[in-house]
Amino acid sequence: MKKIDPKNLSAQLHYRAAGNPPSTLPDSAISNCFPGLEFDFRNIWHHIFDGIELHEADNYVVRAQAEHEKLVGRRLVRVAGQATMKQAIGPQAPGGRPVLLTSGSNPGGAWTMEWSNLLATVLHEHAGQKVRCEFTKDKAPLPVWVSDDPSNPEDPKVETETVELTVRPLFAQSEALQNRLAVIEEHMAEAGELTESLCSPWQNDYRECACYYWAASRPDYVNVEPNEQGLSQGNMWLAVHREPKEYIPDNGRDTRLVTYEDLFRDWQGKLKFIVGGKDSD
Amino acid sequence: MAKTATDLPAEAPASRSRAADLFELSKPASPDLHLIRSEVGFHLLLPNGNRLFDLDVQTFETLEAALAGSDAVPVQRLLNNLGLDMAPLVNDEPLKDPPVRALSLAVAQKCNLGCAYCYAQQGEFGGLAKSMPLSTALESVDLLFRDATPGERVNLSFLGGEPLMNRRAIHAATTRAMELSEQKGVPVTFSITTNGTLIKPGDGEFFEEHGFAVTVSIDGPQPVHDLLRSTKGGRGSFDTVIANVTPLLAAQRRMQVSARVTVTPHNLGLKRTLDEFVGMRFHSVGFSPMLSSPSGRYELGASELKLMLEQMVACGEEFERHIESGQRYPFANMVNAMREIHTGTHRPYPCGAGAGYLGVSAEGELAACHRFVGDEKGAMGDVATGVDRQRQATWLAERHVHRQEPCNECWARYMCSGGCHHEVIRRGRPACEYIRGWLHYCLQAYCRLLASRPDYFGMGKAVTTGTAEPQPRRD
Repeated sequence: MKKIDPKNLSAQLHYRAAGNPPSTLPDSAISNCFPGLEFDFRNIWHHIFDGIELHEADNYVVRAQAEHEKLVGRRLVRVAGQATMKQAIGPQAPGGRPVLLTSGSNPGGAWTMEWSNLLATVLHEHAGQKVRCEFTKDKAPLPVWVSDDPSNPEDPKVETETVELTVRPLFAQSEALQNRLAVIEEHMAEAGELTESLCSPWQNDYRECACYYWAASRPDYVNVEPNEQGLSQGNMWLAVHREPKEYIPDNGRDTRLVTYEDLFRDWQGKLKFIVGGKDSD
Repeated sequence: MAKTATDLPAEAPASRSRAADLFELSKPASPDLHLIRSEVGFHLLLPNGNRLFDLDVQTFETLEAALAGSDAVPVQRLLNNLGLDMAPLVNDEPLKDPPVRALSLAVAQKCNLGCAYCYAQQGEFGGLAKSMPLSTALESVDLLFRDATPGERVNLSFLGGEPLMNRRAIHAATTRAMELSEQKGVPVTFSITTNGTLIKPGDGEFFEEHGFAVTVSIDGPQPVHDLLRSTKGGRGSFDTVIANVTPLLAAQRRMQVSARVTVTPHNLGLKRTLDEFVGMRFHSVGFSPMLSSPSGRYELGASELKLMLEQMVACGEEFERHIESGQRYPFANMVNAMREIHTGTHRPYPCGAGAGYLGVSAEGELAACHRFVGDEKGAMGDVATGVDRQRQATWLAERHVHRQEPCNECWARYMCSGGCHHEVIRRGRPACEYIRGWLHYCLQAYCRLLASRPDYFGMGKAVTTGTAEPQPRRD
């Protein structure tokens, strides 16, 4: 086995390990990262505060080290005075007036903001330092609404507890460069953590995306031939049977087309290679 | 003054030296790759992107055989098989209409010292002594900020001659730059290169207030410094420089006071010089070989460059020892080399001269850099009418490293990028062996340090357990 280990930053940036596709390079990657095809960037926020583990898309405390054990199951409602959520307001039904969008599982209509935008200022100003973190005093399985300003009379009276937590630096620091690197600091993710939540989205995207959109580099219309009127006739790519040659629009339910489940279970058995626009044998 | 002995210690290296080995190991065998062995393994440098890899010994030896021509498989095909070939990152296109981002003002084309090797010919650039009028200094600053957009950074530096012979222009230009920086949201940094003899008590406060990078030209311990850098009347300047610089060294917080040593055949004892200046708490200490002086005097020849490499490596090893044990060691050549190698910097020009960086003469003519002041070869327009884009385009086309010989055959071409334009135009390339030997050593040192102190590069935890705790950084 040959060992080729890229050492400096330019070597690492341009290196494609044997067997990896071009999309593993930053300049040709798809880089849709929410949750993403190469990695799920949201997982980086699990460990942004020293001592606790947050949910990647919610202000819920999933785990904690012993000294912060009491915070598990509670919600981080404010960081440095800024609420981690907004209320969703809009029509409940088409044409309706905008109202607070509440439900049984979200009685306050509170939605946790996406962490990278929410924490950008905190990271910029407080990386490596302690910052005021306000948690619900009690465990909170359901979202809890608070505003930025606890002195606002409209702010719901939610009992909170303030804990000072250290904001971990997101980027690795290089003394040699006397600067930070465009590299995620090692302690921000365990090995495999950035990819653990990818599950198998590609079959969905492969089926849903059309017209050569990036997630589905494949033809939509195959075995195409001109008919007697000079029009084209051929198969929808997902057609289970290739005769008759007709285009079946995908409504997600038509059983003449390969289903999602077919793709999940046996994509390699159900799909054919298309060579030169036609089914290969 | 006709001293011929150097200040090297008596136990100077014997015939088969480290430098000779480095010359041999760093010979250009292929423009496409360079192979390096070190104590920590087998390494491959690909000039295209200055990418550095560790290899297993078999792969290394296969490439070695291909370089030696004893293997039928050409180098390019081997790289392709290894998945390491890539479209060229540097093409033949010259840089086009680069915006002005840095200017150096020759505020005083005159000097109180009479150093024989000075590119400015004792400060006057072969003409009459001149001072830059305030209006020209201010006009230069306006040019620097003219096309800068908010968030872009610019640098203003003061050189000469001895710039402190025209303090008024320095103060006026700095004040104007601060105003424009504030108005336009364009951060500005300041630098000055001085011989250190005319520094007055107020200068330190001024430099500190504006966070100047102060470079003091100082060529070694007293005897050699005084030999090389005396007043026009022949008096040594060392004591004055030290007396003036010591309070600055103590006061530096925002400002950074660095030592720049021009290396001639007379001050080749670099290790001793480095230790002495580091001990004085210079922010950094850097060495530059004297390759081209107007009279040819004090230029380094082949044998002296070999001695210099020997000394540079000794300094580099001291740097390695310090970093290994988690201590700062401000040997600028090595600090810069580690940074550039780690980044994989690859460029078609050795510096910004004639591109984003220009020199301004006392009379307001623009030049390719501070060394080309008054020299038709590097003329680039003037501050009143702006950069002469035609001359600049010709310069950038001609100075591109792909147009340089024998650079096209050299593995180090995107690191050295052809060398200082001024020296090359004047004297050619007498120091290629030295430069390659130094870079080869630096690549080895990088591989060693990356293995033992990846934390220095921001790449994980230290592997060795140093005896000393990391020192707090002063910068």
